[in-house]
Formats: sequence, structure tokens, C-alpha cells
Amino acid sequence: MSRKDLTIWAIFGAPVVVFVLSLTGLIGALLGDGVWDAVFSALLASTVIVTVWALIRRRR
Amino acid sequence: MKTRTIRAWSWTHKWSSLVSTLFLLMLCVTGLPLVFSHEIEEVLLEQNWAPANPDGPLLSLDEVLAAGLALHPGEVPAFMSFDEDRPVVNVTSVDPNGPPSAYSFEPIDQTSGAVAPPVAGHPVMEFLLQLHTDMFLGLPGMLFLGLMGLMLIVAVVSGAVLYAPFMRRLPFGTVRAAKAARTRWLDYHNLLGVVAAAWLLVVGATGVVNTLATPILAYWKNTALKELTVAYDAPAPTGERASLDAAVERAKQALPGKTLQFVAFPGTDYSTDHHYAVFFHGDTPLTTHLTTPALIDARTGALAAVAPTPWYVKALSLSQPLHFGDYGGLGLKILWALLDLATIVILGSGLYLWLVKGRRKPA
Repeated sequence: MSRKDLTIWAIFGAPVVVFVLSLTGLIGALLGDGVWDAVFSALLASTVIVTVWALIRRRR
Repeated sequence: MKTRTIRAWSWTHKWSSLVSTLFLLMLCVTGLPLVFSHEIEEVLLEQNWAPANPDGPLLSLDEVLAAGLALHPGEVPAFMSFDEDRPVVNVTSVDPNGPPSAYSFEPIDQTSGAVAPPVAGHPVMEFLLQLHTDMFLGLPGMLFLGLMGLMLIVAVVSGAVLYAPFMRRLPFGTVRAAKAARTRWLDYHNLLGVVAAAWLLVVGATGVVNTLATPILAYWKNTALKELTVAYDAPAPTGERASLDAAVERAKQALPGKTLQFVAFPGTDYSTDHHYAVFFHGDTPLTTHLTTPALIDARTGALAAVAPTPWYVKALSLSQPLHFGDYGGLGLKILWALLDLATIVILGSGLYLWLVKGRRKPA
């Protein structure tokens, strides 16, 4: 491979976003009920959504 | 990153994982059905039960306690809890001369004193829970699994560090599906591991805290609750105890507006040797998980103290929902199950990657 190394932000950008979203979901669902459960669960669902996206779009 | 630094993180990742993988796999496999224990027990224990006298008066708690204990002569009361959607009071008792955690559990119909069918505690689920909690080894088993949880945290952190050198030329999420199995599984391992990192850390850390329940509660009793017990030399004998109903009423007056959750009897992990600890929880989403006990002198029935729990007992209380995933509805439980499955793939692929590496390039 002759491509240049990615920067630290290019490597960790997406993982950090998923980390923050899912951590917010995990803690937020504890603080709210009803509709908030759905909202914060959706944030945690970013883990599953990103995985499915990668398996479809980044498969080569 | 320098080669030497990478090598050190690599060593850390390899050994923290190798030591714990089999136990973590067991925890994932038993944890998967446990996420849905409420739903599974609703099916396994589905029974059309109605109280004997739906409109009749309710028995006093002392009468319910007597009915529960009559089924287990020689045992002493340990806990009493209250079903939310049926007039049933659960009496937990224990043989004072037997093993400390061999509890008898009797749901009692508060309208008749008869035994009601259980809505939780199916033998299969109890077996899985015990395996998951301490592998039937008691406190040493619990603490050992806590150590495995610490290994998981080390493995996640070191794995996140190693993610950088592995991914330095690959865009996020790349799966080289057409390459050799080793490359393909490395990509799956990296993708799932980095995506599930926050969940793994939360479930791992709260699992570790849960394994420390016994020492945490013992520390609480030996410090914050210590001064309440200095007046007495010997535990409050079962024959000389004040009315339980009066104790619970007194506790309700001390903590108005809160919901009664359970009573811990003298001598159990959740109380001193001299008090009924009457636990209440709040009504907001967060405070339903946080309990406050009123301690009632078991000899006199007088209020000894309202003992707001210290931060480390609160941390233990919050670690339970955050570990079980039962605090945000069915959607959250399904995510818990999917992330549990992802963890199985991470553990399995990690083990595989170590095996093929060892075979290809003997050290």
C-alpha cells in the first residue's frame, strides 16, 4: 500500500462520534421515561446502524 | 506510535483477553436470556391467578410474615417485598444454621395468607443467574468474575489504542471481505469492538461494581450504620421483636411521598443485627433506582434513623439497571441483546486471530 497514513482524527472521528452518542443514550435512558426512552435508545442504536452501514457500504 | 509502544499495548490486549475470554463468553451466553428474564418468566410462569378475597381486607404484615414462616419451620425472616400489580407480599427466609444464601421464597396472598404462584424465579432462570453471578461459588466466584470484568475493561482500552495502527490506512468501517479469513475477521473484530466500546465499558464497569455488592454493603454497615448498633451487644432475638406493621408505618411517616420497596430484617446484608431496614424508592425515572432506608429499632419499634445511602451504595444501585439493561423498555433490551451478540463475535474472532497468528508464526 502506497497511500499515506490517515490522521488520528480520520481514524478516530467516527468511533468517537459513536462512542459519545451511545454513551449519551445509555445514561440518558436512565434519566427519562416514556418518549425519552425511545430517544435515548435510538442514540444507543447508532452502534447497530453504523455497523450495518459499514457491512453494506464499506465491504470490499 | 513507536513499535515498542505498540508491542506493549499488544501484549496487554492479548493477555487481558486470553485470561478472560472463556469467562466472558459464558457471561455473554448466560446474559443473553437474562436480558429478557421478565418476558421469559411471563411465559414460563404464566398463570391466571386471582387473590382469594379480592375485595376483602388485607392481612397485616405480621400475619403475612407468620404465614410465610409457618411454611419453613426453624427459619428466620430475611426480606419482605411487595408485588406492584397484585396483593401479594413475598416473604424470604433463611435457615440461621444453614448456608447464608440458601433462601426460601414464598409469595403470600395478602387477602388470605395462602401461597400465590411465583411470577419470578423460574428454576432455569435462577440457574442462569447464579452461573452468571458467581458460578455457584459464592463470594469468591463473584469477585473472580469481577476480576474478569476488569480484564474486559483493560482489553477494551488497549484494543481502542491498537485500533489506530491497524486502521491507519483503512477508512472507518472497512471490511476486506474478499481477503484471507484472517484479514476479514480482523476487520470484523476491529469494527464491532470500536463501535460497541461505550456499551462494553458501561456493562463491564457496572458488572464489576455489582460483583462488589457484598463488600460494599458490609462497608456501609460497618461505617455509616455502625453508631446505630453500639447500644447493643447481641443481635435482636426473633422472639422479642416489635410489630412489623408498626415499624413499616413509622418508616412511612419518616419518608412521606416515597414508595415502599422492601424490608430487610435484622442480620441480613441490607440491615444491622438490630433494625428493620425499611427501604423506599423515589418516583422519578432516576430515583426509582435509588433507595433510602428508614431504620427501625427491632426491639422497640422506634425510628432509629433515616439513613440516606452514601455515594458508593448509590453507585451500586445504579450499576444494576445499567448492567441489566432493563431501564428503557423493550427497545433497549433488544439493543442489549444485539450488543451481547456482537460481543460474542468480538470474543470469538479475537480468539481465532490469536490462534491463527500462533500457528503461522510460532514465537
